[in-house]
Amino acid sequence: MKKFALAGNPNCGKTTLFNSLTGSTAHVGNWPGVTVDKREGVYKKTPEHVAIVDLPGIYSLSPYTPEEVIARNFILDEKPDCVINIVDATNLERNLYLTTQVMEIDVPVVVALNMMDAVEKNGDAIDAKELEKRLGVPVVKISALKGVGLDELMQRAYDFSSQERKGATVLKDSALAHLIGDVKIALDGQDVANPLFHAVKLVEQDSIEVEMHKDTVKMVEEFKATFSDDVFGDDFEALVADARYKYISKNFAPVLKRREEDKFVSTKSDKADKVLTHKIWGIPIFLVILFAIFHLTFSEDFLYLGAIFHLPSLEDLGLLDADGEFLNFGVKLLACVYDGAVFSPGVIINKLWNEILVGELFGWLGGLVEGSGMEAWAVGLINNGIFEGLAAVLSFLPQILVLFLFFSILEDSGYMARIAFILDRMFRKFGLSGRSFMPMIMGFGCSIPAMINTRTLADEKERTATVRVIPFFSCGAKLPILTAVAGAIVVWTGAGNADLITFSMYLLGIVSAILAVLLMRNTTLRGDTPPFIMELPAYHAPQFKNLMIHLWDKAKHFVKKAFTIILASTIIIWLFSHFSFAWKFLEDEEIDQSILAQISMFLQPLFTPLGFGSQLGANGWVFVVAAIAGLIAKENVIATFSTLAACLIAGGAISGAGLEVEAEDGIDAVRAMIDATGIGVPGLIAFIAFNMTTIPCFAAVATAKAELGTKKAFNNTLLFWVAASYVIASAVYTIGAFPWTIALWVVAVAAVVVCIVLRNKNLAKKGA
Amino acid sequence: MGVAEVLLIIGCAALVIGVIAASIVRKAKGKTSCDCGGNCAHCAGCSHIKK
Repeated sequence: MKKFALAGNPNCGKTTLFNSLTGSTAHVGNWPGVTVDKREGVYKKTPEHVAIVDLPGIYSLSPYTPEEVIARNFILDEKPDCVINIVDATNLERNLYLTTQVMEIDVPVVVALNMMDAVEKNGDAIDAKELEKRLGVPVVKISALKGVGLDELMQRAYDFSSQERKGATVLKDSALAHLIGDVKIALDGQDVANPLFHAVKLVEQDSIEVEMHKDTVKMVEEFKATFSDDVFGDDFEALVADARYKYISKNFAPVLKRREEDKFVSTKSDKADKVLTHKIWGIPIFLVILFAIFHLTFSEDFLYLGAIFHLPSLEDLGLLDADGEFLNFGVKLLACVYDGAVFSPGVIINKLWNEILVGELFGWLGGLVEGSGMEAWAVGLINNGIFEGLAAVLSFLPQILVLFLFFSILEDSGYMARIAFILDRMFRKFGLSGRSFMPMIMGFGCSIPAMINTRTLADEKERTATVRVIPFFSCGAKLPILTAVAGAIVVWTGAGNADLITFSMYLLGIVSAILAVLLMRNTTLRGDTPPFIMELPAYHAPQFKNLMIHLWDKAKHFVKKAFTIILASTIIIWLFSHFSFAWKFLEDEEIDQSILAQISMFLQPLFTPLGFGSQLGANGWVFVVAAIAGLIAKENVIATFSTLAACLIAGGAISGAGLEVEAEDGIDAVRAMIDATGIGVPGLIAFIAFNMTTIPCFAAVATAKAELGTKKAFNNTLLFWVAASYVIASAVYTIGAFPWTIALWVVAVAAVVVCIVLRNKNLAKKGA
Repeated sequence: MGVAEVLLIIGCAALVIGVIAASIVRKAKGKTSCDCGGNCAHCAGCSHIKK
């Protein structure tokens, strides 16, 4: 099978083209750097099937970051039959810079002029035939997004891949042309593959080439000693880059005919950016957008209409019977949309899902099990262990999807890239560039791809700091914790709104990340902040197909995880909560003597400064179990709550609470545990903060280990997560429970800052 | 203990062992659990452990 590689600048549409050609559903985002590793698929419309390899985006073949090395090594070492160079036609000159480098390799190259629809929409035109003549390789106009020109592209690439092609360079008129020629002859003599490409890179004194061809590089150094350019001196890399751009401007750029040659036309994206990336209003606008998302997803009072107009509840309207039950199915449906306030779309979908589907389904299944005649322990295992845990986790699926729909819209529209841009100014003060924000924002989805995405950061210390704080950006798996605890607080206290609590917790994560970075970059990970240059992609309307792919993948994975890892975990939790160390089976009312309870009670004092330790009394160990179970997968926290709360209620341990934990709702499980333990709001918020900032799930820990490289860096990272979560959660709890302690925290922080400043001054003196 | 209870125990044990075994096999293959979309067939994101 032939193998074609897709190469091009970041955000030029490679992955969109890859998905269109192979029918894949790889993640596509409207910002540079989404793809950090190669991935393969198969195109089947050519006479022979073709393997398509999607490479990370690169600006040149002189690699600076790990993902650029991946792209370069693939083209050079794996020897694809053809390289399809995707060029963003709306940025022709800059994209052709990479083209001139790819063309120096002895491989068939086909140029795909992508985003031609946008070029034509702007009223511009590109003479593809003329460009093909000047480049000497096939050029095909396409629109990967709309699927235009793809078959022609593949057919021409397929035909061209059978031909042998020798590398060609645009540097033949440059001041270094003779040197490149001499080096190429030397490399030819050594039977080096792709001699022209290596010769040019050697002349640029590319670090990888210098290492590979130590003997030949002497030729360059000798020449360098006798050479000096008026502008660039002996900086050969700059000289080569300048020569490429001059050639492109003179020979290739004229194929682009602009609608209005001499007039700069302000696009809609430019106009939007004047507001959205404003140096003062940019960050407040971002926070308002973020809050709007949380309001639309979690608020039980849409636009606060209920609070403003004092709308009547269903009970006030006489729609409930004497027992507080709905009068009929219509009222039950109405209760999913309104009860004293109109619910936000996320809450409406969630209530419909839970009341009509999950609740009914698990209620019916539970009834079947109870009537099956199985022994009491088996009924308990299925109903309290399996169903409660599963239902609690699945009950949050709609809200998770609604939240990720909004995040996907922000990403696909191009706004996420703007956030990196507007945050760069602030991040820079803390020792990070705006580039590191992109992996962090990916952390809202999942820490694992976010940690992998840190490969786009060239500075190792910046990368380590970013990997460490990524778990602070609450991932999808932590959402059930946030939603359940926030919901329980609102139900319990009868005050506040879940959207405010969840939004505040997200902000707490972001602020904690910034403070942690500030601390690391001034102590163990000191170093200069690397410059940040990022191309802002044009805004475009989010693609419905992309959004649905994102949501489908998220839902599929969430459900799969619920029926595997979470289900297995709830079974184990139930098992260890019903057996003593003497391996004696315990009834529900005896589970405080179980292995799980005994171990958790032993560990409970450790969590006392965090508000969910010894002060919670007899049933407080449930919080410890939940926090520990979260290390396997964060969804386990609420699954554990539900399983153990159901067992405690069945055993009568918390019967005085007057609550009935319903199978369809994790919020009720947390509420039952609130009543059972007497934990206060500060303890609950501290519990969320601890779970948000502590060691992430096993999978994320394994990824961090692989990405950090050294054992020392990994061990320090584990230590950092434990210490950070402990300090943050205890600060939240103590300040919330005993407001006067804020003075102690201020003094402690001030002392740390003074110590760091003095130490750094001392180090600077020694350095000077 | 009836047939249903025995089947329940076997089923639960199979699930727990299966999940643990699958995670060991995935790790040996250089993959790991991930919420990045789950499109593992086309994603090399998890195979970084091999490198």
